Amino acid sequence: MAAIVLTCLAGVTTLAKGDEITSKEQLKEPGRRIGCGIGSSAMLFVEDEFPEAILVYQEANEGYESVAQGKIDAYAYDRRQMQLAIDSGRKGVRLLDENLEEKVHVAVGISPKSKIHQLQEQLNTFIELSKADGTIDEMYDRWVVQGNEEMPDIPRYKDSNTILVVGTSGIVPPHSYYRGQELNGFDIELAYRFAAYIDADVTFKVYDYSSIIPAAASGDVDCIMANLNITPERAEALPFSEDIYTEDVGLMVRDTSSVGEGFIKSLKMSFEKTFIREDRWRLFVNGILTTLLITVLSVIAGTALGFVVFLACKDGNPAANAITRVCMWLVCGMPAVVLIMILYYIVFGNISVNGIFVSVLAFTLIFGSSVFGLLKMGVGAVDVGQYEAAYALGYSRQHTFFKIILPQALPHVMEAYKSGIVELIKATAIVGYIAVQDLTKIGDIVRSRTYEAFFPLIAIAVIYFLLEAFIGLFISRIHISILPEKRGRDHILRGIDTHDKD
Amino acid sequence: MIRIEHLKKEYPNTTPLKDVSTVINDGDVISVIGPSGTGKSTLLRSINMLEVPTSGHIWIDDVEITDPKCDLEQVRNRMGMVFQSFNLFGHMTVIENVMSPPIDLLGMDRQRAYDEGMRLLRAVGLSDKALNYPDELSGGQKQRIAIARTLAMDPDIILMDEPTSALDPTMVGEVQAVIRELAKTGKTLIIVTHEMRFAKSICNRVFFMDEGGIYEDGTPQQIFDAPVGEKTRRFVRGLKVLELDIQNTIYDFLGMQTAIEEYCVKNQMPYRMAKHIHLTFEETVQQNLIAEYEKPDIHVTIEYSEEEETAVYTLDYSGKKYDILSEGNELSVSVLKTTAGDPRYEWDETRKYQNRLVMNIL
Repeated sequence: MAAIVLTCLAGVTTLAKGDEITSKEQLKEPGRRIGCGIGSSAMLFVEDEFPEAILVYQEANEGYESVAQGKIDAYAYDRRQMQLAIDSGRKGVRLLDENLEEKVHVAVGISPKSKIHQLQEQLNTFIELSKADGTIDEMYDRWVVQGNEEMPDIPRYKDSNTILVVGTSGIVPPHSYYRGQELNGFDIELAYRFAAYIDADVTFKVYDYSSIIPAAASGDVDCIMANLNITPERAEALPFSEDIYTEDVGLMVRDTSSVGEGFIKSLKMSFEKTFIREDRWRLFVNGILTTLLITVLSVIAGTALGFVVFLACKDGNPAANAITRVCMWLVCGMPAVVLIMILYYIVFGNISVNGIFVSVLAFTLIFGSSVFGLLKMGVGAVDVGQYEAAYALGYSRQHTFFKIILPQALPHVMEAYKSGIVELIKATAIVGYIAVQDLTKIGDIVRSRTYEAFFPLIAIAVIYFLLEAFIGLFISRIHISILPEKRGRDHILRGIDTHDKD
Repeated sequence: MIRIEHLKKEYPNTTPLKDVSTVINDGDVISVIGPSGTGKSTLLRSINMLEVPTSGHIWIDDVEITDPKCDLEQVRNRMGMVFQSFNLFGHMTVIENVMSPPIDLLGMDRQRAYDEGMRLLRAVGLSDKALNYPDELSGGQKQRIAIARTLAMDPDIILMDEPTSALDPTMVGEVQAVIRELAKTGKTLIIVTHEMRFAKSICNRVFFMDEGGIYEDGTPQQIFDAPVGEKTRRFVRGLKVLELDIQNTIYDFLGMQTAIEEYCVKNQMPYRMAKHIHLTFEETVQQNLIAEYEKPDIHVTIEYSEEEETAVYTLDYSGKKYDILSEGNELSVSVLKTTAGDPRYEWDETRKYQNRLVMNIL
């Protein structure tokens, strides 16, 4: 239902007649809204050339959608990229003939903490050589101009002592994107070639542009090959190699002449592009598994953590209570995305750790705090007379807690526990920030290939709903099974002869 | 045997038990009575250490339970407690409430615990409720189950903290009947209660508690029929008391009239009686004693029995011998004859107040 409403809205705005933009001059009027990537070269150029414009920060795929829907007047970006999007079927947009005056300089960002010996010098030499023998031109022609997607055979050093860790975006065809389950593109080939040049094995880590620079700065990767523009700010944070090439910055505006296809047909096409083509459903399956893995592990570990901490605090140990209060204050006081980035880039900044591990750790802390709070609430709701009756009979403190108090506390909080888990599933959507490819991140990756904002988003929303329903059902089962009233007579009187004659 | 020595319990703003020492013998059935706030429950709860005493010692047989090294759980296994608010375990059925403690704490096998539990449920008349949950029972039924749960542990000592106070009046009888049976079994039984007639009929010993301790300890006959202590007498007869002191010829007459007024209203005295108390006070103190003595020292006590609807007016005053009714002014004496009867005047030089005049308010 929601899907249909959204589509209709999108359709209406696409067909609505706004004023047609035909030249850069029009965009210089005050109040024009121009989109660009945050911190990108395009942003700086737009600030120079259109001082009266309002800047809107969006990544490319969202930018195209906004232009098509008339939410922004233009989007400034790598001209070839945008042309490629239009060639691949992006409707409702077109390019202005004029470009921005300055060109983008694309280079490799280098981590100052890389352990590879003289990485910058080696890279510069490699780029000079590759330019001189025409390799760079040939690669550029093949990937960008001709749109050939085949990765040539480049010798790999599988068992080398040196491993080159390359940070890339995975969402910018034809430079760095997923073809099926494999990373592909100009930057990927460049990485293979450079690794071969220094006799190193190569691995990739995929980041959002917003976190890719910190990843290199903290030493999480050796270098960034992600069609990365050099801007003065980025150059302050990181050393860069020589330019690999330069690109024109074009302007995408709304094209009111193109007419949308039939709804059902376009839905079918979207489905085919999103799930079927290149077996992209496999990406979704992996994303779902990653999301589930993080959620399930965090729920188990968080529940255990909440319990252990509660047991340590329940008898009023002042040290345990003080530590718990401080930790809860820290964990609950900051947004999950900040916590997870602090853990990944600062706490474990110098240690190589798996992003999934950090995600599970962060969500274990978050979920543990909420389990602690729930237990406190549930146990607090049990009448003090229950303790007294048990103590008076001679039950020990532990025995009283587990046999008498807990069974009465749990049913109170199961409903809240269930919604806590649903919250957790949704909250895991931020792990893309630390290079974990969960369901949401997979959505981004696929959107970058299909040039569609709408369909993959809805698809992901539906998948989240299904996951939540599934887990909710599972917890409801547990809930019912721990309700004391649900036990049958046979269970209560197990192993007992009641001497009934009937 | 329970031996208590110099037991003291202090809270931040009150001290219910100042110094309690006593010995309770095996098989004693003791009623603990007294006005509210006098530490009855605190004393009971100290005996199984639900309240940890501020100081003092308690021995159960040879075990000092106030010793921090004492294995309390083992002592509590042999000591049952019945609460005002029942405190049945809400997540267990009736039979589980009764059979779980012996299984968990005494290692009894399930079959025996069940058989024994059902026997006890039959004894309290509730075997048909075995598979119900406490929520589904009435207050009286819950308390009978709670007693059965206590008995399932076969304790030597049973403590009952106002077992019928939270019950509807119609249910008090069924629970008292069970306790009555229990009192015959020879177990040591200590009951905090407000039901004095019931207490008198089942116990062999009564603790009257006041002034931070056991104010009077005796047989039911002594405590209820011939109490020694003044406070015991007032309590068991249900007397409401007002005491006033006057030590100067310039005293707050109106303030005292107000105090009498409030006392009469609070105790819902008949209007006639209230008026007579006012008049009696005015004619004796204001019209006679204040005029007679330069340095008066007067203590007025009014005792009102709601049950009998009688009030006794007692006037103690020091100084020379002076009988108002024979020596006082005539107008006052004639008024007093209409407000109070049966006057008794005593003179005793050895007392603090040498003069005493007692009258029954009409």
